[in-house]
Amino acid sequence: MGRVYQTSDFRNGLKVELDNGPYTVVYFQFVKPGKGTAFTRTKLKHMLNGNVIERTFRTGETFREADVELESMQYLYSDDEFYHFMNEESFEQVAIVATAIAEEANYLVENDVVDVLYYKGAPVNITLPNFIESEVVYCEPGARGNTAQGATKPATLACGATLNVPLFIEQGETLKVDTRTKEYVSRVQK
Amino acid sequence: MNPTRLRQRAAITRAIRQWFDEHGYLEVHTPVLVQFPALEEHLEPVKVGNAYLHTSPEFAMKRVLGAGLCRVYQIVPCFREEEIGRHHAREFTMIEWYRANAGTADLMDDVESLIASAAGAIKIPLPHFTRLSVADLRLRAGLDDTDDEVEWFQGWVDAVEPRLTDPTIVHSYPSWQAALATERNGLADRFEVYLGGVEIGNCFAEEGDPHVLRSRFSASAHKRTAMGKEPHAIDHGLIEATSRMPRTSGIAVGLDRLVMALTGTTDISDVQVQ
Repeated sequence: MGRVYQTSDFRNGLKVELDNGPYTVVYFQFVKPGKGTAFTRTKLKHMLNGNVIERTFRTGETFREADVELESMQYLYSDDEFYHFMNEESFEQVAIVATAIAEEANYLVENDVVDVLYYKGAPVNITLPNFIESEVVYCEPGARGNTAQGATKPATLACGATLNVPLFIEQGETLKVDTRTKEYVSRVQK
Repeated sequence: MNPTRLRQRAAITRAIRQWFDEHGYLEVHTPVLVQFPALEEHLEPVKVGNAYLHTSPEFAMKRVLGAGLCRVYQIVPCFREEEIGRHHAREFTMIEWYRANAGTADLMDDVESLIASAAGAIKIPLPHFTRLSVADLRLRAGLDDTDDEVEWFQGWVDAVEPRLTDPTIVHSYPSWQAALATERNGLADRFEVYLGGVEIGNCFAEEGDPHVLRSRFSASAHKRTAMGKEPHAIDHGLIEATSRMPRTSGIAVGLDRLVMALTGTTDISDVQVQ
């Protein structure tokens, strides 16, 4: 059984179980009307779907710690339905259903290490590394037809993502991408 | 701690003292260490030995008024247990003033004028206040009337306060939130001041009837007992002094929060030396 928290334990990043789901505290504020009882106003992010909700709790309300764990795992491969990951020490493998990580999956590069989120013992979500490197499998050649400074063109990467890149990027080059902003960072010399 | 804000805080404090001087208010000093905590079910005083640090100078200021002074003010540290957050510190500074032969409308004018002086001292645009009743605000927020205290405040915190981003004076509270304010037409004759989205002040038309005060004190003690808290002893000297006051209104404004609002920060630690 996890710990029990009170509103006074609220900190950014605290993981609590609420409405049968794991949430992480992203904002909290002690509020106290002039003549009334105290509350804590919060914003909570659902750890699986990323939705942010606003909730106000009465001081003294209790919460159970969300039963979540993070484990570093290597991404191996995907098949039609699942993405497969491996613990690099125990070699134990787990599979996460593709629909659960549809957005992240476009930035998954084979052999990269990601954080796998376990909720109630089951692997349910991943956190990508901040940066990935992947090869351009398709883009228009050169700076065709556009001489404006800072202009970009779309490029598709081997991992599946499509993003805007500078006009000088050519097919076959390897790019560094920030997975948090989903933006091009630089070319990588191989 | 932010040196720029501490300078602004000093400029604001200087302007406030000047405002009190210009408006005929006398500065008084009352004990910080007191035997009787304020009449508050939801405030916890800091205990020191067999006494308390005051949560506000209210009771002592009323004794001063009972002794015949008509316009008094104080800028003084106050202490409240268990209140820590971006808008709360256990120790903070209160600007509190009382004006005899005046009603809440007079004090609304006072507080708007004082805040204008404070804003002028640091050369920021003067806030323009709107005066709205509690009933009006709850109606606009789509809240139903309720007798349940927690539900009432939850609605207030969830649906009303987030809309109070413009300078607002909120008046006419339900009578069960009267505390030491008089009742008029079934409502508590008091107001709160919102600036920068935060409540920075609270004003009462002071209740002077000793019978009413005694029953308010004992109701509050019962309520504290029911909440599992220690009931506060009744300050009979205060009740006696209050009954000798002329018609008086009094207001407490948190200096730290006023400085926060005027200097554009939402974190009290930016304006205090902690």
